[in-house]
Amino acid sequence: MDPVPSAALVAAPSPAPSPAPESLHPALWRAHQLARTRTAVLGSGFAALDAELPGGGWPRQALTELLLPHPGVGEMRLLAPALAGVAAGAAGSERGIMLFDPPAPLCAWALAHLGVDAQALIVVHGRDGAFGARHLLPAADLLWALEQALKSGQVGAVLAWLPARLRADTLRRLQLAAQAHAGPAFVLRDIDVRLKPSPAPLRLALHSAGIDTLSVRVLKRRGPALAQPLRLALPPVLSPALRARAEAKRALTQAMQGRVRHPAPVPL
Amino acid sequence: MLWIALHPPALSLQAFAATLGSAQHALPLALLDAHRIQAVNRVALQLGVKPGLKRATALALAPQLLFGQADATRDAQALHALAHAALAFTPSVTLDGDGPVALPCVLLELQSSLRYFGGLTALLQRLRAALAPLGLRVRIASAPTALGAALLARWRSGFEQGAHSRELHALQRQLDAVPLALLGAAQSQAEALSGMGLRTLGDLRRLPRDGLARRCGEALLDQLDRARGDRPDPREWLTPAPTFEARLELFERADSTAPLLHAAAVLLARLVAWAGAQHARIGAFVLAMHHERRHRAEAPAGEQTELTIALAEASNDAKHLHTLLHERLARLALPAPTLELRLRCDQLVHRAAPNGELFPTAAGAQEGLLRLIERLQARLGPQRVCRVLRVEDHRPERATAWQPALAAAARVSAWPAAPTLTRPVWLLADAQALGERASRPVLDGRPLQLLAGPERIETGWWDGAPAARDYFIAQAHDGALVWIYRARLPLSPAAGEGWFLQGRFG
Repeated sequence: MDPVPSAALVAAPSPAPSPAPESLHPALWRAHQLARTRTAVLGSGFAALDAELPGGGWPRQALTELLLPHPGVGEMRLLAPALAGVAAGAAGSERGIMLFDPPAPLCAWALAHLGVDAQALIVVHGRDGAFGARHLLPAADLLWALEQALKSGQVGAVLAWLPARLRADTLRRLQLAAQAHAGPAFVLRDIDVRLKPSPAPLRLALHSAGIDTLSVRVLKRRGPALAQPLRLALPPVLSPALRARAEAKRALTQAMQGRVRHPAPVPL
Repeated sequence: MLWIALHPPALSLQAFAATLGSAQHALPLALLDAHRIQAVNRVALQLGVKPGLKRATALALAPQLLFGQADATRDAQALHALAHAALAFTPSVTLDGDGPVALPCVLLELQSSLRYFGGLTALLQRLRAALAPLGLRVRIASAPTALGAALLARWRSGFEQGAHSRELHALQRQLDAVPLALLGAAQSQAEALSGMGLRTLGDLRRLPRDGLARRCGEALLDQLDRARGDRPDPREWLTPAPTFEARLELFERADSTAPLLHAAAVLLARLVAWAGAQHARIGAFVLAMHHERRHRAEAPAGEQTELTIALAEASNDAKHLHTLLHERLARLALPAPTLELRLRCDQLVHRAAPNGELFPTAAGAQEGLLRLIERLQARLGPQRVCRVLRVEDHRPERATAWQPALAAAARVSAWPAAPTLTRPVWLLADAQALGERASRPVLDGRPLQLLAGPERIETGWWDGAPAARDYFIAQAHDGALVWIYRARLPLSPAAGEGWFLQGRFG
């Protein structure tokens, strides 16, 4: 047994600079970088939002959690450009959009106005015709249906309104099922659950920030934390003239309130 | 001519086993006919129970033996399913009426389609695959004559792969060794023939023909000649019944739907074979469950539950039908234990099957979506899976209609163009009454700021739901936009007056 020359052990390989991890594998990224996705993403239609999302759009084959204080902050207008793209389909292959347990009846005309073809929508109710009833626990049937829709891979996009209280493994199951789903899968829940852990790789908190403006806070993403919420200009409800008038009125009211509350010192 | 014979050696026993639950398959089984055992399964055979024993003797040998009654109708149904599966390959299918009754046989003539199926080996492989869902053990033989093929299939169990002879000479040589008992016409004179020392067809052939005809009748010689190909053998082809009706009497009464599913799978396999025989697909079928009588006073037929399953897209896929049935049965609460199942189908779709797709296409995705909806509706109910329709009406609560997703199959191609009116995405099912403070509407205790309006909607005086409202777009305290209205006139006490929240701009 000849001894191994100790010099051979000590001789380190040439100090070549180690390759950057992000160039090694698509699943690797540094904490200060945004992750890249292996699959193509779906553009959200908002350039400011796309710039902050990993891969540059809504992820496919994964859950996206949107947390909002109440329905009607502008979530449908945020999703409408992406949904319109799914409904129209690339190269004429139209896919359905499935909505699970929406909080209120939908207005087909408003959707058409946003560019989403109402014919592409399929709505699944958890309980018989019960709109907007906040259930403490989701119907087992509804979760089953949601999982089936995700697993089938035949649906273009999925939107599900799930209650705040969910068993811990439920979202995990849905996240696994979503891997077979080719399009985006949005789960809309109450803002109260923002501190609870979730397996969804992307979580956004939505708030209304004035007329036709939405504030989007990124709670979780594959990338660095984002300190400032994004302000997105939604497809407008009001005409520019009305909007200008409303803002001028508001400014006036605030100024008046300010004067009342803090009276200016009267020069003697 | 190329004849293929299908002989199910354990037809009666396997048709009986189909009525059992899955737990009982491992038990020794025996079929009784006139107090004597007719057939036994392998487990019973290992315990020493043989066909021909009396019931008491068999019970002494194997106390846990499960007895079933032989049932000619049940066997005939299983045999017909076999013939239906064969009909998918050729229209020339017949049941062999010449053989012994206990050894039934289905015959197919396939010479003209041999090239289409890519030769005998490939054909037999496809035939076995097509017969597999029926759950019957089948012995297959092929020969240039119909009776020859039937005799070969019945002859020896050693030929699990089938005895095949392509040439008439080879067949005639093989037939010489076939035992005489397998020939149908020899059944009535079995004792006389064995008394003469005649055991095989070869022994019979060597005797002088005129003497044999005088002693044993023409029928014996006729069958012998037809088997050897010396005499023509015309057959009448089988045609499937225009409607399918099959019944299965369960061995044990079923208290829940789980054991029913097992039995229904047997019936479904037969249904698919029947539809395949007509090269059609199933549009709808009915599963009827006959229940046990709860009182003596009830009608002797007892109660029954019918489950109709209508398919959106006609299908011949047993797996898909089974999934649908599974979802529907899982939701069903049975009023009483079930004794018997009947499956009925008279809705066939005779259209060319849709083309198979190599790459994913729009049509394939559409069908996949349709199947998904069908499954969801089977479990949740048709009313809970809806499509949204636009209706031309000014009242927001009537401008959107809901329709079960599959009923809307006839899609509207030319929809009216979307108007430039602003409407919120979320409408409240019932408009929510709002409070009023300093002549301003109040939502959640905070005053609303009116931004746009009024938009006056005054309509519906002709259909009993008149609306006279002034709509405004307002901003809530958190910045979200809502759609509210003020009822202009108290038209009816139910409509109320004051401010109402109609929708939210989501």
